[in-house]
Amino acid sequence: MIEVKDVSKRFKEIAAVQHVSFRVEAGEVYGLLGENGAGKTTTMRMMATVLTPTEGDIEISGFSVRQQPLEVRRRIGILFGGDVGLYSRLTARENIAYFGRLYGLEQARLEERIHSLSRMLEMDDFIDRRVGAFSRGMKQKVAIARTLVHDPDVILLDEPTTGLDVTAATIFRRMVRKLQEEGKTILFSSHNMGEINKLCKRVALMHKGKLRFAGGLDTLREQFGTEDLDDIFMAVVEGSEG
Amino acid sequence: MGSHVVWTVLKKELMDLFRDRKAWMGTLLVPLLVIPFVFFLLGTSYSNVEKEAREYIPLAVQGSSSLITSLQKNPAVQILEPANPEQALQAGHLRAILTIPAGFDEEIAAGKTAKLSVAYDSTNQKSVYARTLIEQTVEAYSKDVVAKRLNQAGLSEQTIQPIVSTFQNAASEERKSGGMLAGIIPLMLVVSLASAGMAAANDLVAGEKERGTLESLLTAPIAAQHILTAKLLAVMTMSSMGAVASLISVTLAMRLGPMGTEGDHFTLAFFSPVTLLVLIVTILLLAALFAGLELVLSTVAKSFKEGQTYMSAVLFLAMVPSYMLMPVSPVDIPTHYYVMPVFNGVALSKEVFYGKVDPMHALLGIGSLLIYVVFTIFLASRIFRREGAGLKH
Ligand SMILES: Nc1ncnc2c1ncn2[C@@H]1O[C@H](COP(=O)(O)OP(=O)(O)O)[C@@H](O)[C@H]1O
Ligand SMILES: [Mg+2]
Repeated sequence: MIEVKDVSKRFKEIAAVQHVSFRVEAGEVYGLLGENGAGKTTTMRMMATVLTPTEGDIEISGFSVRQQPLEVRRRIGILFGGDVGLYSRLTARENIAYFGRLYGLEQARLEERIHSLSRMLEMDDFIDRRVGAFSRGMKQKVAIARTLVHDPDVILLDEPTTGLDVTAATIFRRMVRKLQEEGKTILFSSHNMGEINKLCKRVALMHKGKLRFAGGLDTLREQFGTEDLDDIFMAVVEGSEG
Repeated sequence: MGSHVVWTVLKKELMDLFRDRKAWMGTLLVPLLVIPFVFFLLGTSYSNVEKEAREYIPLAVQGSSSLITSLQKNPAVQILEPANPEQALQAGHLRAILTIPAGFDEEIAAGKTAKLSVAYDSTNQKSVYARTLIEQTVEAYSKDVVAKRLNQAGLSEQTIQPIVSTFQNAASEERKSGGMLAGIIPLMLVVSLASAGMAAANDLVAGEKERGTLESLLTAPIAAQHILTAKLLAVMTMSSMGAVASLISVTLAMRLGPMGTEGDHFTLAFFSPVTLLVLIVTILLLAALFAGLELVLSTVAKSFKEGQTYMSAVLFLAMVPSYMLMPVSPVDIPTHYYVMPVFNGVALSKEVFYGKVDPMHALLGIGSLLIYVVFTIFLASRIFRREGAGLKH
């Protein structure tokens, strides 16, 4: 469960996030939609306790990011899209194991986790090779395995399909659905309404740091009387600006 | 829990660095390539110049005197007759020109003072050597003349030489080999301490920030200061390895190189347990100081490139004190240098290589180094834990 409670974040003169509230239920795949600069990454960084909210608070599985950041960190896994950060001189296994150890996993448990993640993500062929020479898709898999190594309840995916080709993006969405079946709570951010629509029933729509809408995609379709997602997005953004 | 995290991160950093050829180059380039190169170059050209200066001494003589005959007793002396002696001297074909006025020998015989003029080139080491030879010859010749004159006057030589002095070198063998080392080794040591950690420090924060790995690391349930501690230890490891490599390298270069064959018999015998301890503590503290400083700069840097630029500032900080103190004998270093950052480390290691460490200096140097280290690490920790410090720009 993620509960965002009237959260704001300022960077000096930039109000990156302004009074945003929404709630992601346990076991839900929830969309965080917004154009570049909307404040999605900043919001997720506050959830991951890398940034502290200027105002308001966020609860992750009942723990406050302000009061209990270590408890929060134990329960979340975060994945950034685009050029994912890995240690290129380490093998895939070493990359994953490093994070596993930092999360306090025992050796036996760690080996078991790496084994099952490698199976699930189909990385057995390259798990013991250095990641420096990997393709985007392979790197993405290693990064996902690293995000999931400690079996977090809450998974934050920040524009995770950026830079992936159609096949890799489709495989990625399948994996997200599988994680949902396992009961994970997932927040999935994107600037693409169509992509959100493929995975999520409910979304928070941000624009220039402000929350424009939070609720079901069905509600949006009914409200604007159209199935065209881009039109709906434009209508929400323009409607609340006027 | 904390030490487990530090150890996990340190192990990973070292493995990562050992696989990084660029970091290795940075660590070992100065000690293993630059130092021997400089030594061989210096040593070779030094001994060549000396040899040539001794073995071939072309002179021009205008006029004549039996003084020249004494000069020619040295087999290296060659009397040449170039068309333009001044030009030949300028060009280095002649080492000196002796001008002997007419009636030179007669003046001497008459008991007067004869005037000899010698042209030489002070910017040419070989010419300076020739001048020394001429001076010595003239002196010996004069002495003979004086002895003859005194004899004629019925006096003994002792009349005009009330004192004869001989000089013994009081420096022990340790001090002799150390004395030479006290000049150049602290420079090599301190510069490699600073340079060996630079690539690692830049990679471990600025590099990790740019690649986005640091942000992932900061979302793990571990304290930022444990990450920093591990990174500091990793950079210190690289620095210390660079320092040890440079010490070994200098030792070998001195023993095997052209400078070592001149009979200096360089040994490490001048180390006593105390000086060795002072050296090790000084190396570790300097490594910590440079590592802390390099991590501060690496954290402040917005990119890997920017970090590299900042790192050269650290090198500068290491080089200035080392060069300033290089020609100074340890006994001439003013006390306040023992409390100035980096100067204190250079001064202390000079004493170590000189074979004698003043306890007061050791106390001041190590004490002040410790304070600078604590301050630098405190600063690094503040900056590293600052919100957003680990995020990509
Ligand atoms: N560390 C930071 N310092 C200053 N400004 C920032 C920082 N991070 C983000 N911003 C600014 O905050 C706003 C929101 O950025 P971000 O959360 O990255 O949006 P999104 O992820 O939706 O593209 C942007 O205007 C961005 O420039
Ligand atoms: Mg973003």
